[in-house]
Amino acid sequence: MKKTEFITGSFIALTLVVLLGIFFFQALFQPSYEGKVMPVDNVNLKNRVSLHYVLKNVNNASKYLAMHGMRYFNNRSSVPSQTITYGKSKNLEEGSANEVTSIVVNYRGFDTLGEVTVLFISIIGITMLIGGVVEKKWIKPSLIVRTGSKFLFPFILLFGVYIFIHGHLTPGGGFPGGAVIASGFLLLLLGLENYRFNTKASKVIESLAGLTFVCIGLIGLFTKNSFLANFIPTGTVGLLYSAGMVSLIYVVIGIKVGAELSTGVAELKEGNKND
Amino acid sequence: MIILLYLAILVLGLSALCAIFTKDLLVSVVALGVNSLIVSALFFLMHAPDVAITEAAIGAGLSTAIYVFAIRHTKRQEEK
Repeated sequence: MKKTEFITGSFIALTLVVLLGIFFFQALFQPSYEGKVMPVDNVNLKNRVSLHYVLKNVNNASKYLAMHGMRYFNNRSSVPSQTITYGKSKNLEEGSANEVTSIVVNYRGFDTLGEVTVLFISIIGITMLIGGVVEKKWIKPSLIVRTGSKFLFPFILLFGVYIFIHGHLTPGGGFPGGAVIASGFLLLLLGLENYRFNTKASKVIESLAGLTFVCIGLIGLFTKNSFLANFIPTGTVGLLYSAGMVSLIYVVIGIKVGAELSTGVAELKEGNKND
Repeated sequence: MIILLYLAILVLGLSALCAIFTKDLLVSVVALGVNSLIVSALFFLMHAPDVAITEAAIGAGLSTAIYVFAIRHTKRQEEK
């Protein structure tokens, strides 16, 4: 690399860091609360439990917080909220029955996008280092292993799809479902000696899924003025067609994580060119 | 319930020590897989099923396989 390029690159990075730091500290000492980072001092940590996330009452609570300021921390029980009944409550702020999902995908959806990006970059690294590959000789698997892996693969695939489709109702979600799908492909890779995993197709599927995730976020940005905001009505709590875009995003994440992890495992199985 | 938890933690510690102190790398990787499996069972017993599913699929399944693939590309001590 040339020296001038290095200097300009580090200069740009330094300016970005300084700007971000100024932005952050300015937001920290703003007097008003709405849409800003909370000030560090005079917050009692005992009050910062996730009660409103569990009650699916975050928007009301933040409106109350903006109106009443510090009085919010003294009487939070006066924030209006409604009782949630499984199978009856309709049109809540966030309609998924699984609270972990409602936080991970809806309230903190941007963090999930970051996690998916981290996984994407690590798989890109694996493919760059040990992609395009000479196959080593494997010991031929026995008849029982071959038949068993052929027989079990569709069921494992079905279970993975079940986990991520029901992510907003039962424990689980996109990441575990994708991991289960990848372990199904791992079974095929170990059990059948002639099986070639189609890495090109899986990379295309993975990129399309990531693009869909960002597009869902952008639709939220254009309709509700916030990136990854929920733009589909949330139905009754506990039904399959509920929770708005949460189930949609979890389907996309499941496909993406499954394709990524199985690509990584397939590349690692076949090994290095320099062996 | 409490006795079950203590038993699980005992096996957890034993498998972790085994993973550190064995000479054979394959044995060490299998001990790590056992460790992950017990951790996922502990998560499930302590009412965190979301984490338990992820730990069982990734910790006990995929990462063990990835370690075995990595060991396959190294050479054994005896063959050198």
